[in-house]
Amino acid sequence: MVAESYDAVVVGAGGDGPVAAWKLGEAGLSVLLLEAGPFYGNEQWPKPNEEPGGEASSSTADLSGDLLDEQFTTREFEMINKLLFGPADHERGFWFRKFPGDGAILQCAGVGGTTLHYTGCHPRAYPASIDEQGHWPIDYADLLPYYREVEELCEVTPAPITAKEELFFRGAARAGWEFIDDYNVTGPGYRPQPNAIRPPDAKLHVDAGHDGGFTYPEVRGDTLALGNIAGNPHPRGAPYEEKAKRASNVSFVPAALRTGNVTIRPNAFVTDVRTETALDDSPTATGVAFRDTWTGRTESVEAEVVILAAGAIETPRLWLNTDLPRNEWVGRGLTIHFGDNVMGLWDAADLEGILGKRTVDQHQGQDIAARFDYPGLGMLQTVGTGPGIGAILGFGASASGFAFQNDPDDAPWDTMGRLAGAELKRLLSDYRRMLQILVVSDDRPHKRNGVTVSEALPDEHGPIPLVNYEPSRGDRQRRDELAEIAAEILREAGAAHVHRSDSPPTALHVHSTMRMGKVVDETCEAYDVERLFVADHSALSNGVGGANPTNTGQALAARTADRILERYF
Amino acid sequence: MGTRGKLGQLVRWIDALWRAVSSLREVALETIGLGSDVDHHTEVTFRAVTDAVLPETPALGSEIGDEHVPGGLAIALDEFVVTYVDDGFQLGLPHVGPHGNIQLADPIAHALDFAALALCDRSENESEPSPDRPVSLLDPGEASPEAVRDAAGTFSKLSSKDRLRAISILDEFELSVTPGVDDLFEFDAGLVGQLVVGFTEMIYYSEWQGYDEFTQPPSERVHPNDPAAVQSWRQTGFPGFADGYAALRGYIGTDDGTLGDGETWTTIDSDAASPVRITRQPGSFRENEYDTSDYTEPYPE
Ligand SMILES: Cc1cc2nc3c(=O)[nH]c(=O)nc-3n(C[C@H](O)[C@H](O)[C@H](O)COP(=O)(O)OP(=O)(O)OC[C@H]3O[C@@H](n4cnc5c(N)ncnc54)[C@H](O)[C@@H]3O)c2cc1C
Repeated sequence: MVAESYDAVVVGAGGDGPVAAWKLGEAGLSVLLLEAGPFYGNEQWPKPNEEPGGEASSSTADLSGDLLDEQFTTREFEMINKLLFGPADHERGFWFRKFPGDGAILQCAGVGGTTLHYTGCHPRAYPASIDEQGHWPIDYADLLPYYREVEELCEVTPAPITAKEELFFRGAARAGWEFIDDYNVTGPGYRPQPNAIRPPDAKLHVDAGHDGGFTYPEVRGDTLALGNIAGNPHPRGAPYEEKAKRASNVSFVPAALRTGNVTIRPNAFVTDVRTETALDDSPTATGVAFRDTWTGRTESVEAEVVILAAGAIETPRLWLNTDLPRNEWVGRGLTIHFGDNVMGLWDAADLEGILGKRTVDQHQGQDIAARFDYPGLGMLQTVGTGPGIGAILGFGASASGFAFQNDPDDAPWDTMGRLAGAELKRLLSDYRRMLQILVVSDDRPHKRNGVTVSEALPDEHGPIPLVNYEPSRGDRQRRDELAEIAAEILREAGAAHVHRSDSPPTALHVHSTMRMGKVVDETCEAYDVERLFVADHSALSNGVGGANPTNTGQALAARTADRILERYF
Repeated sequence: MGTRGKLGQLVRWIDALWRAVSSLREVALETIGLGSDVDHHTEVTFRAVTDAVLPETPALGSEIGDEHVPGGLAIALDEFVVTYVDDGFQLGLPHVGPHGNIQLADPIAHALDFAALALCDRSENESEPSPDRPVSLLDPGEASPEAVRDAAGTFSKLSSKDRLRAISILDEFELSVTPGVDDLFEFDAGLVGQLVVGFTEMIYYSEWQGYDEFTQPPSERVHPNDPAAVQSWRQTGFPGFADGYAALRGYIGTDDGTLGDGETWTTIDSDAASPVRITRQPGSFRENEYDTSDYTEPYPE
């Protein structure tokens, strides 16, 4: 049951919110974690998309691996629809956000938040992005103890190699790049992903002649079947906490519940932050109001501290939809790692020579297990996807029209642009001989980019977020150079055809809309509102150099929890 | 006023006009005999979209195999895309559409016609619009050719390539829709391209076709997960969803470093100072000292 007041209320049980809840719960505080989406794999909600189910969950006894197996089918179209940001009720569509051009924002609703989609890549920020780019008021060194804490709980290890990673590494080595085995990366090179996914069972080695099944307990850890974006429940049959992918619902949520002090209420969309203002003082947060997404009823709860962790779009939206003081940086400075996709296609005979088999088989292995780092530019990573997600991410969108409208001339790619018709069908007929590289650039915070709201466009939770994103010249240059490096790596790996999407801005990683140093102070408390903290990726001062952001978001949330304890408890 | 402003106004005007005449047109089109609850213009337009994005490709038969011939229309992808865009987004206003979902298929179809007109206006179309094209998208006997010609807008009269060109034009515009009495709602017309190209491709290449009925509640959906049961899986060679693969080759690392351990399985780079290998055990990342003092911005802002 949800009480009337708590020591701390956390808004959003996504990647970072549960980290703060766990730390505060462990310190003995009573914590309520409010989440807009459903709670998958929990016996209180056996049919989370069809029936309202229970009210709240405060015990790991509610967690069920079997339910997760049932609900996370790994069927890509179904799971995208299930997880994308919208109400639990399957009959209702996504919550609409306005985004420029034909790009999109990919975020999830549900306990675990966007880490339900994420591929488990857990590198640290590039130290230079924090210490040298001038955006951060704290040092990289301040984050190190928290990185270690997060990496331990998420069980971060070097990702395993299957055929697609071997292909990429061969290309990177032949292109002359160095091999890196560091946590703290200061120069360009390639390395395995530090992944928050349990390593695969040694039985699954290609030489081991495994002829059994892939279910627990016969197989423990990762099973090397694609499925992270589509909700990864592997190994099937495993108890909830033995699932290989340590998304925050599997890592931090059970840890938080185990403290005995944390209650999670899903299907609760926070619409207001309550404050009190003593004479001549700045406002102090006293609680929040939230709306039950099944019944539409609004309730409220009081708290000593309020922690916003609704993600880099909804946290500023919530702020802007309340009467909290206006700060010119609220919602501004959005970074999305302005990305692109570069694909290689191989001839079967060439692959035979390189890999000893005639296919790449991107559906095998972890989704993203190999990376190339370049502090100052960003990163590249190999991506395995099902053909549906691959089609929309890699071929379905482009900022430069359809491939037949472009003549790439002497560019390092053979074709560029969106694909459709016979060209698309021909290319996808090579799905099993294709490897996609995701370009993730170190875009910088610009004030024009970010979230605003307009009274004219409300939904049931108030004015919707209007997102603006226009990369700068530098952002484009960094991305273009990375795309060229990607093409070269693919060529060196023997690709017969290279295709560049020239993707429109698409937000898989969203950060820095409530930046430390601009909206929140060095403890992540709002400059303008006492007892109001931000503990999600919006508090990051920049895009951490282009490295996957979750490790840093979670490390910062852990640090913020410590600062809250010091300051108020 | 720039071209963009004028065209933006035109979009609004077309939208308003469409709203005004749609009730009359409903009556006029009753006689066509196409499906019932979806606007017929919308139906023809989404067939034209599907036919352009995922066409039947007889030429691919001899080139890469007969399984590559059928396209989206053969599996009624167009009908599902209409359902999907009508059910897919909501503003959560109880009076706007079923379950608060904004029904986007009709306005999208009109936006596509608008784009087709803009394409012709700029003389960027490769061939002339022809009323025979939409007729050819229907099976014989499905509806009378006259009725289809009446219902079809400019978009469906374009050649497939010109339809794609028209879609590209939409990335340039803002579009406004009036879902409820007082709600003026603007979105980037690029969303149209995203839905009719990106989502159409995703749905086609995903497992969608295999469901008995995708619109059933999630707990009741049945999917055979049989590679032969999904047309696009036959075309991509996707083997269906699996619980696991015995595909591990090992872990990358060097003798000098902390990554990679145990017996070598293969060598990636024998020229490296310390050869880079794939080994049996992972090792671990190095908690290295870091020094960023010589960092330089490749592209200073
Ligand atoms: C396909 C994909 C793959 C990715 N892979 C990786 C990866 O490998 N590594 C990596 O580092 N990052 C990855 N990311 C990004 C990563 O998932 C996000 O950066 C991370 O989840 C962000 O954490 P967050 O807490 O800021 O926000 P979220 O995880 O988005 O959490 C916000 C939560 O708040 C809830 N919420 C929103 N509004 C409200 C409200 N008003 N009231 C209550 N609750 C609310 C949401 O439902 C959500 O659960 C990936 C993203 C995608 C889309």
